[in-house]
Amino acid sequence: MKTRFLFPHKYRLVGWVLTIPSFILMLLVLHADFRLSFLEYGRKGKFQFDGESFLFNIHRHNFTDEVGSLLLITGLLMIAFSREKEEDERTVKLRLESLLWAVYVNSAWMMFSIIFFYDTLFANIMTYNICTPLILFIARFNFVMYKERRTLKNAGL
Amino acid sequence: MKNTIRVERAILNITQAELAEKVHVSRQTINAIESNKYIPSTVLALKIARVFQKQVGEIFTLEEGD
Repeated sequence: MKTRFLFPHKYRLVGWVLTIPSFILMLLVLHADFRLSFLEYGRKGKFQFDGESFLFNIHRHNFTDEVGSLLLITGLLMIAFSREKEEDERTVKLRLESLLWAVYVNSAWMMFSIIFFYDTLFANIMTYNICTPLILFIARFNFVMYKERRTLKNAGL
Repeated sequence: MKNTIRVERAILNITQAELAEKVHVSRQTINAIESNKYIPSTVLALKIARVFQKQVGEIFTLEEGD
C-alpha cells in the first residue's frame, strides 16, 4: 500500500546504526562533559562575549553536542518512521495511535517535571526531551506490533 | 460492524494467510477484522468481498450502536 511521509523499510537499520553511538555520545556529553577535540572551533582574534549566541556570532565553541544531537534525531526519525515490512492500512492506524499516545505521555511527563523539578535537574530533563517523544513512540509502536504478532502466533496460524 | 469473513473463508476453504495475500494486507489485519477489532477501509472491504464474489453488504453488516 502507498504511504506518505515514510522512509523505506531498510532505513530502520541505518537508523539504529546512527542512534546507538550518538545516544552514547550524548550521554557522555551530558553527564561526563565529554567533548571531541576535532569539533572544537575558535575564531581568531580577541575573545569577546557579545551575549548573542547565534551561529554567526559564536567566537569559540565545541560542536560535539550539536553534531551528536543532530545524528541522534536523524537516527531516531529513521527508526520511528520507516515503513514496516508488511505495511497495510492497519499499520498506519496503529502507528498514528502510538504517536498520539507518545505525545500525551511526553506532555504529561513534561508537566510533572515543570512542577517538581528545578534548576540543573530540570535543564537535564529538557535536554532529554529532545528525543523522548520519539523514543516513547518507538517503544509504544514496537510493543503494539509485537503484541499483534504474538496474538497471531497464539491463535496458531 | 460485524462480518462473516470466517464463514466465507470456510466455504472457500482458505486460511487467513491466503486471504491476506489475496487482498495485500498482513495476516494480523485479517485476524483483527475477523475478531471485530478492526474496521477495514472501504477499499479493503470491497477487495475482500471481491475474493468471495459477493456484495460488501452481504459480508459486512452494521450492528446496533454503529
